[in-house]
Amino acid sequence: MKKLFTIFLVAVLALSLAACSDTTAGSGEGSEVDVSRIRLVIGSTSTGGDTYQNADTISRYLEDPLGTNIKVDAVGAVRAFQELGKAKNDGSTVMFFHDMAYLGVEYGSIQENNKLENWTIGPVVSTNPGNAFLAKGDAPYDTMAESAEWLKNNPDETITVAIESGGVSEITFDGYYLWVKEKYGTEVSDRIKAYVTGSQEDKNQALWDGNADIINGSIGGNNEYTKDGVEDDIKMKFLGITAGKRVEGYDIPTFAEQGITVNGKEFVFDKEFFFLMPKDVEEDFASKLDKAVAEVEENPDYAKDLGKNAYITNYVPAEEAKDYLREKRATFQNIIKNAPELDKITN
Amino acid sequence: MDIFEILSPLSILLCFLGVFMGIIFGTIPGMTATMAIALFLPITYTLDMVDAIALLIGLYVGGISGGLVPAILLNIPGTPSSLCTTFDGYPMTQKGEGEKALKVGITASIIGGFFSLTVLYFFAPVLASVAIKFSSVEKFLIIVFALTVIASISKGSLLGGIFSGLIGVYLSLIGMFADNNQLRLIPPGFEEELTYGFSLLPVLIGLFAIAQIFQESEEGMKASPHQTFDFKKEKKNPFTFKIFNGQIINTIRSSMIGTFIGMLPGVGGSAASISSYSQAKNFSKHPEKLGTGEPEGLIASESANNGLIGGALIPLLSLGIPGDSTTAVLVGALLLQGIQVGPLFIPTNPDLWDGIIYALIIANIVMFFLMFFSIKYMAKIIYIPKYIIYPIIIVMCVVGSYAINNGVMFDVWTLLLFGLAGYVFMKIGIQVAPFLIGFILGQQLEKYFIDSLKGSGGDLTIFFTKGPIAWMLWVLIAVSLVYAIMDNRKSKRSGDQSITPST
Repeated sequence: MKKLFTIFLVAVLALSLAACSDTTAGSGEGSEVDVSRIRLVIGSTSTGGDTYQNADTISRYLEDPLGTNIKVDAVGAVRAFQELGKAKNDGSTVMFFHDMAYLGVEYGSIQENNKLENWTIGPVVSTNPGNAFLAKGDAPYDTMAESAEWLKNNPDETITVAIESGGVSEITFDGYYLWVKEKYGTEVSDRIKAYVTGSQEDKNQALWDGNADIINGSIGGNNEYTKDGVEDDIKMKFLGITAGKRVEGYDIPTFAEQGITVNGKEFVFDKEFFFLMPKDVEEDFASKLDKAVAEVEENPDYAKDLGKNAYITNYVPAEEAKDYLREKRATFQNIIKNAPELDKITN
Repeated sequence: MDIFEILSPLSILLCFLGVFMGIIFGTIPGMTATMAIALFLPITYTLDMVDAIALLIGLYVGGISGGLVPAILLNIPGTPSSLCTTFDGYPMTQKGEGEKALKVGITASIIGGFFSLTVLYFFAPVLASVAIKFSSVEKFLIIVFALTVIASISKGSLLGGIFSGLIGVYLSLIGMFADNNQLRLIPPGFEEELTYGFSLLPVLIGLFAIAQIFQESEEGMKASPHQTFDFKKEKKNPFTFKIFNGQIINTIRSSMIGTFIGMLPGVGGSAASISSYSQAKNFSKHPEKLGTGEPEGLIASESANNGLIGGALIPLLSLGIPGDSTTAVLVGALLLQGIQVGPLFIPTNPDLWDGIIYALIIANIVMFFLMFFSIKYMAKIIYIPKYIIYPIIIVMCVVGSYAINNGVMFDVWTLLLFGLAGYVFMKIGIQVAPFLIGFILGQQLEKYFIDSLKGSGGDLTIFFTKGPIAWMLWVLIAVSLVYAIMDNRKSKRSGDQSITPST
């Protein structure tokens, strides 16, 4: 019995080790790249968020053209960069993230040594156009522009906006704040407060508790609360999205449509997902990945799968992605420079 | 509704497989139900939705239930929510009642599981509306309420227990403060490793498993009395369901606490089993015996941590808000299949809703039979000589720690560091259980405290003026504290200092 049990334990252990083992480099017979397995670390610890969903979708479609297996690991931004820093240059570990990869560095939530210049930038693969702001169903305004107007007309009132610091929700909040300041002056913008919190659930709860009047959210994550039939207590409504274009099937005005501008330019923020690789990654691997992504982007099934959660395809080849993302960063650096310090505008 | 119209034979088979694999994951220290679900997630793409959910629910139930095996037999809480299971489970094993303890735990688990399942089925939407009325103020008070267990288990040394708990809270705050992204309390040179602080499971396993192995190594690995115990000859006090006769109120109360705290988004299962253990002790006719191998404590912990499964699914399925980290992974699984969870999920997905309920029923039954009838073999683990079992445990702990964050070597160092710390704690008198409870609940304590102040504009009186739920929680906290202090004095007078849970 003892022997049997020991054998059982060893077998379980071996299975566990196999399941948990790190990626192994090596040539897979017949594969087009020099790795049989790829570990895709993502900048989020959630397996329910948009980063995981986009990473999972692209990786499933990439497996065939790359002739490899891809494992998505939700390790979080800091650890993902750490893993990328330690990764071999053969492409066995690559990273997948969105604009927070550089915004986090600008805001100080991600260390400076992780700036874009220190990595090889891979292709941009998709967009989540659903970065949105919402209020309770009975809020006295229907758009972000109207909320500012409402503040102007009600000088004793404040508006508290729940966001997460150091990333996409802060940059889009900053855009709104700076526009209010430009258009209505500090008398109005000083009455905009930030409620800094974490996950989407925390932001929703802040709205339901009455601790926030507006929250940053997303079409995918919050649409269910805006439908007819939802109880008044938890009912929400969209006040606008930051994407350049409206999302098909949803009647939500963009910030640009509402006239929200910063420095005279329409405020547009498209949340885009892209690959990052080690600085010295083998060119052969990088180009194969880029070609495979290009091939996947043509596949209508991929677009359909992304569409399940209101995401859209958006291919920017690796060669262009480098300049594209750096330019995008430069645009938002100016906003970050002029943005309010969260410490000063929290309650 | 016919169960077989919703669940196909394949669904039932997958549910069975899920429970089996979940139990294995729960049994291995450091492997969790969350990890099991995350690993099996890619397989679900090829399945239809009901089959996929049957597999995932099986993994969830099995993963949570399996945690009692190492807790009872080896004194290693496989998951944070089985911490309190060690308090009475392991002393029972030491008395030669390992098999009985396992059967008590498994029976309590299925009762807790079915209780929460019933609540989920009949009251989900109503209770979900109640759950979101618990703002950060009430959640902070619930965490404080759970922390009162420290007073209750620090018998004979109340101040020592509180001190240990405070060290635990302090260490839990190491890492990045999310509100301003500033690093804090990190020794120079460890900024990268400790950005997210110490991982809970390596700390938990290190303090229990590795520390114990260090201690036994020092003393020489002699066979413990329970290792020479012959189960077959143990006729005097075997397991019978009659053990539950006097424990009906305890079982129902603990299942209720588990279900209720489980349904509060963000609060999670650890607080549920800790609170329920605390209340079992406060309401017990023989509180001084809890911690020495009483089925009462074991029932409280296990019925609560299985109760949280149905509880955590209440806000998930009624509002789309995950109740704990495991249900957060389930949301991902549903989203990847294009299913949106939210307030209209139940009315718009009746088949899937029924499928989830049926899968839960089957998973609980399978878990019970699978564990109950194989447990006598599992219980024999304690006969394995220590020089064989300890190296296996160490390897399992290292694998579990390495895997918990998808392959972070620092988590293995954390395991060894806290193993060493646990050994030193035993030498200098820092109580491990209160330390861990402080460590488990510390971050939530801070988060909800700060969120409450942000919501009130910094006004501390919010904790007293928020409303009737907060007042009721204050009363519970006060009663729990007063009772624990009185009990503490009584035990000091009687010179009984043996009650602190063994580690």
